[in-house]
Amino acid sequence: MPYDWDASRKRIIGTFFGTNKIDRVPYFPLACEEIICRITGKTYREIIASPKNYANAAITTFEFLKADTISIPTAYAGPGEALAFAEANNKKESIKWFDYKVFMAKQGVICKTEEDIDKLEIPDHRKISVWDTSISAIEIINKKIGMGGLCLGIWSVVQELRGVQAYRDMRRNPDLLLKLCEKVYESQMDILNFYREKVGGVGIIFFTGYSFNKHMMSFEDAMKFEGQFIKRIQKETKAGIILHNCGTTPYFNEVCDEIDLLAVNGSHPLNIEYWVNFKEKFPNVTIIGANIDVSRELLNGSPQDVENKVKENIKNLATGGKYVVGPICCLPWGVSLKNIMTIPKAIKKWGTYPLNFN
Amino acid sequence: MCSQYLNANEILEKLRRTIIEGIPEDAIDLVNKSLEAKVDPKQILNDAILKGAEEVGLKYENGEFFLADMLLAADAINDSMDIIRPKLKEGKQETMGKVLIGTPEGDLHDIGKSLIIALLNGRGVDVIDLGVDIPPEEFLDAAKKENPDVIGLSGLLTVSISKMIETVMLLKDEGIKAKIIVGGGILSEESCKKINADAWAKDGWEGVKKIIKLLEGE
Repeated sequence: MPYDWDASRKRIIGTFFGTNKIDRVPYFPLACEEIICRITGKTYREIIASPKNYANAAITTFEFLKADTISIPTAYAGPGEALAFAEANNKKESIKWFDYKVFMAKQGVICKTEEDIDKLEIPDHRKISVWDTSISAIEIINKKIGMGGLCLGIWSVVQELRGVQAYRDMRRNPDLLLKLCEKVYESQMDILNFYREKVGGVGIIFFTGYSFNKHMMSFEDAMKFEGQFIKRIQKETKAGIILHNCGTTPYFNEVCDEIDLLAVNGSHPLNIEYWVNFKEKFPNVTIIGANIDVSRELLNGSPQDVENKVKENIKNLATGGKYVVGPICCLPWGVSLKNIMTIPKAIKKWGTYPLNFN
Repeated sequence: MCSQYLNANEILEKLRRTIIEGIPEDAIDLVNKSLEAKVDPKQILNDAILKGAEEVGLKYENGEFFLADMLLAADAINDSMDIIRPKLKEGKQETMGKVLIGTPEGDLHDIGKSLIIALLNGRGVDVIDLGVDIPPEEFLDAAKKENPDVIGLSGLLTVSISKMIETVMLLKDEGIKAKIIVGGGILSEESCKKINADAWAKDGWEGVKKIIKLLEGE
């Protein structure tokens, strides 16, 4: 029987926008290249070799996981953007490739000096093979199963390009740092336009807002170096923004006071009361995740521990909708498949509407 | 800049404040002025640099300071230490111990690690930085060669977890006696226990505090 992506789409749309009744709580796993390699048995280079390969590998993986969402993780505003900048600025040597996961940039090499930032060329993503493959793979998936979506970010890219120096700039040379942020924003707009050309309009943007965490910077700095750009992207696209932050002390409450978000995606704080209060304060903002952290029950616990965690989240947050189960961050290699596959089972058991916990 | 009319105590106080404010150029100037004023290097370390470092940590814990402030303070500490370290060695000041640190294979992030190294240097700890993307075998070889008191593994990505586990297991299996601390938001207290590491730190500052405790034998 073919996978019912139509039902998944209805669950997601119904949860985010409340336009239709949903049968159960949706499931949104963050499956990165690593788990795609693990499930398909292919190396990352094989997967990225063509749009068709990547689209098929992603569909196989997300169907295997029994997910309600699908993603092409390389089209992500972290390593993918670092690679685009590296290629556009003749710094390919700053990128290291791996067999069973995505390539990474050596931190801070691409924008080591002020001159590097001044002269930084904005990549044309259409000419970057990895980006062409990734966006074309999204196009295939969109045609095949009617799902798409775009990932953007500012600080995640700044960190890749400038490394630890970005934090010194924050105090000693904020104008230089803002100049870099502007260039990253311009590059993000190029991705957005490329997506529009290939796939069409953008309804939802998954935004990796790595600055929105107390262990990175103050909330004021997060707004200055990232938040203002989210507002500009929102104005430009009118898209719903999902703000992802996988750090331990996120500014979800603070950011929702400043920016109109569609959803937040995090796994901290671990105290479920934080999330209950968040839902009460921001009833229109969907919570994806809450406190299902991949390095805790999923990595160390039993299937029963995982089920209990999923149940706890659904019980506290899914009444009235606006809740999506999502372990955070990317499912790592060391997590047993038994634990991973407990999640969709637990959602079916405890997350089918009307909710019943007896 | 420092006035030539300040007395030794005033210079040290100004150096302490400069460390907190994170101004490396001024810190260098003040350390040199302290030495010119014949202040004992040990006193410069204890009364200005370490006191400043302590206050920076407290401000971080209280939410007044953030990573950027910590890094700049660490730069000021490091630059100060570069000047007084040779003098301390002349006076046979013993180091607190030796720490081997690196980011495990598959992860190229180094912000937390950079902060830890700078702050440990400021405490007079010998730190050997293996760098990023370090395979388990390289940690083992370095541990055998350097015989550190503590080995620190720092990572940012969830994809690093498996390599971190592999590294800790290899070090323990090979009988490395050094205490092992793992760090980064990707791990947890439970993970630390499961992989048999001796300590876990959620961020750079907590890492520094826990490494110091491990060095002190706690």
